[in-house]
Amino acid sequence: MGTIVELRPRAREDFTQSLGMMIGLASWTMMFGALFFMYFGMRANAPMWPPAGTPRLPVALPAVNTAVLAASSLALWRGVSQLAKGRRGALAPWVGVAMVLGIAFVTLQVMGWRTQLAAGLLPSSGAYGSVFYGLTALHAVHVAAGLLVLLVVLVRSLLGTYTEHNVIRVRVAAMFWHFVDAVWLLMFVSIYLF
Amino acid sequence: MRTRSRWGLCPRTPGLLRAAAAALSAAALFTGGVAMAKPQPGSGIGLPVDASVEGHRIDWLMNTTNVMTGVLFLIMVGWLIYASLIHNRKHEARYDHGTSKRSMTLALAMAGSVFVFVDGNLFFNSTMDLENVFHNFEKIEKDPSTIRVEVNAHQWAWDLRYAGPDGKFNTKDDIISLNDLRIPVGTPVIFNVASTDVLHAFNLPNFRAKVDAVPGQINRFWIEAKETGEFQIVCAQHCGTNHYKMKGIVTVLSKEDYARWAEQATKVSARVYDENDEAAHWGWEWKSE
Amino acid sequence: MEQHIHPEPTNFIWKYVFTIDHKVIAKQFLFTGLTFLLVGGTLAMMIRWQWAFPWGAPVPVIGKLLLPTTGGAITPPAYASIFTMHGLIMIFWAITPILIGAFGNFTIPLMIGARDMAFPRLNMYSYWMFFVSSVFVVLSFTSQLGAASGGWTTYPPLSTNVGSPGWGQTYMALAIFSTGISTIMGGINYIVTVIRFRAPGMGYMQMPLTIWGMWLTAILNVLFVPVLGSAALLLALDRLFGTRFFVAGAAVGTHGGDPMLFQHLFWIFGHPEVYILILPAWGIVCDLLSFFARKPAFWYRGSVFAMVAVTVLSAVVYGHHMYQTGMAPLLGLGFEILTLTISVPAVLLFVNWLNTIWKGSIRLQTPMLFALGMVFVFGAGGLTGLLLGTISTDIYLHDTMYVVGHFHLTMAAASFLASFAALYFWFPKMFGRMMNETLGKFHFWGSVIFITLVFGGQLLAGYSGQHRRLFDPFQYEYITHLKLLNRWTSYFAFALFFTQTTFVFNFFFSIFAGKKATDNPWEVTTLDWTHTATPPVYHNFDVVPTVVRGPHEYANPEVKRLLKRDWIDQVEAMPEAASAGIVVGAEPEALGAE
Repeated sequence: MGTIVELRPRAREDFTQSLGMMIGLASWTMMFGALFFMYFGMRANAPMWPPAGTPRLPVALPAVNTAVLAASSLALWRGVSQLAKGRRGALAPWVGVAMVLGIAFVTLQVMGWRTQLAAGLLPSSGAYGSVFYGLTALHAVHVAAGLLVLLVVLVRSLLGTYTEHNVIRVRVAAMFWHFVDAVWLLMFVSIYLF
Repeated sequence: MRTRSRWGLCPRTPGLLRAAAAALSAAALFTGGVAMAKPQPGSGIGLPVDASVEGHRIDWLMNTTNVMTGVLFLIMVGWLIYASLIHNRKHEARYDHGTSKRSMTLALAMAGSVFVFVDGNLFFNSTMDLENVFHNFEKIEKDPSTIRVEVNAHQWAWDLRYAGPDGKFNTKDDIISLNDLRIPVGTPVIFNVASTDVLHAFNLPNFRAKVDAVPGQINRFWIEAKETGEFQIVCAQHCGTNHYKMKGIVTVLSKEDYARWAEQATKVSARVYDENDEAAHWGWEWKSE
Repeated sequence: MEQHIHPEPTNFIWKYVFTIDHKVIAKQFLFTGLTFLLVGGTLAMMIRWQWAFPWGAPVPVIGKLLLPTTGGAITPPAYASIFTMHGLIMIFWAITPILIGAFGNFTIPLMIGARDMAFPRLNMYSYWMFFVSSVFVVLSFTSQLGAASGGWTTYPPLSTNVGSPGWGQTYMALAIFSTGISTIMGGINYIVTVIRFRAPGMGYMQMPLTIWGMWLTAILNVLFVPVLGSAALLLALDRLFGTRFFVAGAAVGTHGGDPMLFQHLFWIFGHPEVYILILPAWGIVCDLLSFFARKPAFWYRGSVFAMVAVTVLSAVVYGHHMYQTGMAPLLGLGFEILTLTISVPAVLLFVNWLNTIWKGSIRLQTPMLFALGMVFVFGAGGLTGLLLGTISTDIYLHDTMYVVGHFHLTMAAASFLASFAALYFWFPKMFGRMMNETLGKFHFWGSVIFITLVFGGQLLAGYSGQHRRLFDPFQYEYITHLKLLNRWTSYFAFALFFTQTTFVFNFFFSIFAGKKATDNPWEVTTLDWTHTATPPVYHNFDVVPTVVRGPHEYANPEVKRLLKRDWIDQVEAMPEAASAGIVVGAEPEALGAE
């Protein structure tokens, strides 16, 4: 025993890790920013939006999905803060919850796409279809990537890799997941509501 | 003391070295001056013939800027050569971080004056020229003598359309032409340029005019010819395999010759007009704003 | 912050293949980059061959191998692929890995006193991602309908399935996307390393200007490569999944996309990209001019300010590539003002260079020659940019060879001359041996003279009205008289290409049989030369030094008097001050340039 909680010396290494992730997220923000730039550019040029004859997008399903992803982020946040307080065993279940909710998100997204395809909105349906499928599909790819990251976190937490002293490693992964959630919020508002 | 420098020259005294440096710099200046001499358009190296009324503005701005930048370039070359030869290994380096107020002010002043004189001249003249002349479409649209031409660029030729006597596009009396633009001298001609497949650019180098042909968009520019003759239409945007021969001819005719040609051309177009041929009716309502 | 010392791997795979040592990764980038430089250069020679002999003479030596169906003659579609791949390869697979991948990786930790990059494993992934992207490039060449052929700018609709069917363009879209990921990974590493792992006492204003250049480039990379990534991604979606982001006009029924959006996205990346390619070169030249003129870098902070200003402004000038697209006049005006403004910091940098060497004690060794050569070509190229940044003169010059001459001088020639300067300079540190000076000087003179003739020739051709990307420019009667100019420009280009064999021989010969190098053969002041072995040990520094001054302390009379040499490194205490018992305050000298 005799553990001295060495939080101060690790603080500087921790900052390096989170700085790296923040810069990475800045990069990702620019990528999604470019996509939104493209979306708003298309919208500004179009005489009417949605163009005449386009099937309406639902609001209920994506709203549910927004809640699902938000809950997922909350679950992950809960798990991380539990770990930081020293309750190492609490991380894995919360990560599991976050993953289940993430998978639910993707499932509901696929359901949403199938409905739209059936209603006649295709990726090749001009600018509107391209924007809708392009943006939501690219987001879903990032959710999938995030799920992979969470899987790694889950496995490692079950193996006991994480302690309250190396929380940063989980925090950095969580930052990515929260980022993906934030991007969805923007998409929900600008594509479905606006 | 070294009598041979590193790359084989044999300067024995600093005096000789200075003379060599001075001679080299002078030679550079002379060569530069010769190279900058105003070239003969139409042959040799130099701007092509300018058959337009307003193109001289661009030529003047380019030449004036070239003189100014040419001088700056030669100063730089002279400086580099002189420093490399005279401030060499044997010269004692001066300890100066360049942070005195005088140094910093001088450096900023040099950068600032290039900006004010060269950049400023460019910006002022370009803006005036664009506003008063090149982008002054309102004036050209109001002019009753203006000829209007629609240009449909496609892989790999230029479809041209004149409104004909009825003044409306996409009607039976439109003059249709492929790669053959005819315009009268001393008359403003304004173009609507579009494309139906990939990007092209409608370019009249002898009139110092060009604009991109973008699918889904109509771009405009105008020219006025000041002399008769035959000149080139060039495609100025990579558009695929035969981009290199997507050319046409601009023929500038006298006003009488043009009128005679237009009358004939309308009749020919009307004769071959087929109202069922949708693809041939590629014209659009004239964009004047 | 100090990094731990890790033991060096002994297994070949971990030592040379999946290495996490920044010095070895630098070499991986260097060799891959040099290979693609050869490919890109060969493509350039084919372009020049076509213009010298436009009647379809078969390309010598490699013609029959690359163009078997025509017996070695270049056809119009082959030509379009040649200039497209030349541009893409040179920018993304030659300059970027050499200047940024190799020299960024090599110099940053060594010059700031770090033991490695902040994220060594990320560094390793960055190289192998780059390798994957090179595989896509090779695959593009194998496509039956030809490699990408829409110009390096890849404008749609030509680059969509409408204009460019087949896998060639798709592979390149994937190649661009994956090299973009590699670049971003590297960028994150460079930024964090410079922020977190500078040696004690090395503030931002005591960093070598090389590091400033690399750091600012990394910031631009991280912010703007993703924009290109998104453009490439949307293009890939259009090509693979039938979306309509960029397809418009008659090719689409209704509500089509907008090709102009691609141009916006592309140039929002594209303009910062040209600064990405030049900032490291500027930084390296700033340092080398000081080192070899044995004089402090003139107005260090001014140069930093200039580089930062260019970095910031680079984001808002991109519209000057789109002046002729029918932009709203007010928008064009805004871009024009900003474009002309960005020339101010560039001129300031220039002035600082000229003042650095003035009244110096110039040692015209090969790295210095290349640095001076870079100043020369960048001056010429930069001045030609003024006519292109001005809307009315750009009406005439847009899409002509004048543009090609301009960007080759500023981007290709300047970046490559700086890359060679860096190579000759850091070769001893990288390989422990010296390159041959005589061969180096021959390489320099041949390169600079022929670069001037080739790209000067292009400027003249463009000014006379010759357009770019033309399989046979002389189809146009008004420039048939430029045949001789083009022929001679091509001859000079071939000469430039063959001059490089001097370098190739020198480089490989010296790696194995060059004269063994001393620890600091150039007698310079930076940590990489003064506090590491040649070549450095795995962990670079046994003891991380404490820095007390800037990296350009040359010609100081006090130093000359007390230490009997014309330089003092970043760590040494001034002897008199120490012997007089005065504590070496970091203030007076650490502020170096104050």
